[in-house]
Amino acid sequence: MSEKTKFWMLAVLLALSIGLLVYLFQATQNAPL
Amino acid sequence: MQDRTWRKINIGLLVAIVLVNLYTMLLPAIPALRYWWQAGHSKTKVTATVEQYVKATTPQANSEQSTPTEDMSGNRLIIPRMLMNTKIVEGPTSNPYGNLKKGAWRLPFSSTPDKGGNTVIAGHRFTYTESRSIFYYLDKLQVGDEIGVQWNGTTYTYKVVSTSVVPPTETSVQAATDDNRLTLYTCTPVWNPKNRLVVVAKPIGVNE
Repeated sequence: MSEKTKFWMLAVLLALSIGLLVYLFQATQNAPL
Repeated sequence: MQDRTWRKINIGLLVAIVLVNLYTMLLPAIPALRYWWQAGHSKTKVTATVEQYVKATTPQANSEQSTPTEDMSGNRLIIPRMLMNTKIVEGPTSNPYGNLKKGAWRLPFSSTPDKGGNTVIAGHRFTYTESRSIFYYLDKLQVGDEIGVQWNGTTYTYKVVSTSVVPPTETSVQAATDDNRLTLYTCTPVWNPKNRLVVVAKPIGVNE
């Protein structure tokens, strides 16, 4: 696997991780308790 | 770009992924570590009475414990076991999220300590924006622990008589009662808050 392909895979993983964190910030703030 | 440069960028990305995910996973546990540290090292013991705890946490009595700018006025909820002396939030049921964001919210349809009946106070357990939410340590309360409520200048002292976990559909915990009691509740467990942790306390004294 080329380094450039690895870069895109890692970039997608990082975006997903940050997306999950942002979602959790939002979801827990508006949780019933 | 050279392979070597790509490799350096990829290592950086990998470190960033690990850090973001560690933060996501560990944040709910950080307040528990904080409690362990504070309970062991705080001058005010978690087994203190309400009276002792109020004295220790008011700015006049101990300037180290509370900053002079801290607003200690209004109705307050004091729980030594949770290292807590906080303002009771009042607000309408039409804005539950807004009220819960501010702290320990007395449900407006419930009673107040001076009237008797069931005084119900709810609070967040954990949010990512404020990991140590107001009732994070509610599970630390044990039967026999003291809880104080300063209400219109009078301190009402309660003793915990039960702690239980109920489903969120169990709304009877908020219902009016013939006896005088204080009900506190929050979500449980921290990671998967599908149930409600309910603490019921009965009055043991009034200090004018």
